[in-house]
Amino acid sequence: MVEKQLSRERTSSWSWILQAFTGVMLVILLGLHMVVQHFVVQGGLRNYQQVVQYISNPFVFLLEVAFLIIVTWHALLGVRAILLDLGLKPKTERRWTAVLTVIGLAMITNGIWLSATIVSQGHV
Amino acid sequence: MASEVQPKPVKRKPMEWFNLKGKRVGFWGYVVMRLSAIGLVLYLMLHLVILSQLAMGPSAWDGFVAIAKSPAFLALDIVLIIGILAHGLNGIRLSLIGFGVGVPRQKIMLWIGLVLTIVFSIMSALAIFSEVK
Repeated sequence: MVEKQLSRERTSSWSWILQAFTGVMLVILLGLHMVVQHFVVQGGLRNYQQVVQYISNPFVFLLEVAFLIIVTWHALLGVRAILLDLGLKPKTERRWTAVLTVIGLAMITNGIWLSATIVSQGHV
Repeated sequence: MASEVQPKPVKRKPMEWFNLKGKRVGFWGYVVMRLSAIGLVLYLMLHLVILSQLAMGPSAWDGFVAIAKSPAFLALDIVLIIGILAHGLNGIRLSLIGFGVGVPRQKIMLWIGLVLTIVFSIMSALAIFSEVK
């Protein structure tokens, strides 16, 4: 019993540290995202041609993919934290973790596919 | 030794977020964090769905860009910016406290976060609406 409780506490403290770590990274990544996607752009939003041209830059591509991964991770860890506050049974908790992991992987895969598709528009 | 005092995991159902009676200001921070978190998660998903219009070619995207530059949409952008600032600045505070930095100054950090949220939100609103003319 105690061992089980300790292992739960360990996992929750790990998710807290991850949340703080991804959070700090987001301050930087979201800051960069806002500057390069909106602040420096005339009118605040790129048109289609500009988006294709812009995301075709490998550094921008990597920045946006990194941002996507970290923001999705942080968001779904946060949803998990809210769910855990409800006082779930360990089994239910594990199920939610699995469901959120699948959702997160789907969001990230879709985003990378989308970015790659946009880049390929520039090569047609 | 540690097994003697096992703190029970804190259970806090969402309805209690709105019961501010007798709560300390730190709890307000918690509530702001939770509400902004839910808003930002919903925004993230909506954002990814909207971005997928880019896969449908120029007319779909450029149509969205025109809508996104309407004043009503820009007002929503300011709501988003307020949410990001409140969540991010309070998040920095929570990270510092969690790693043992500035714990005695947690309350003043909350107020600093609030002031910066207000200041940066006003600056953003001015920047956004000065472009629309």
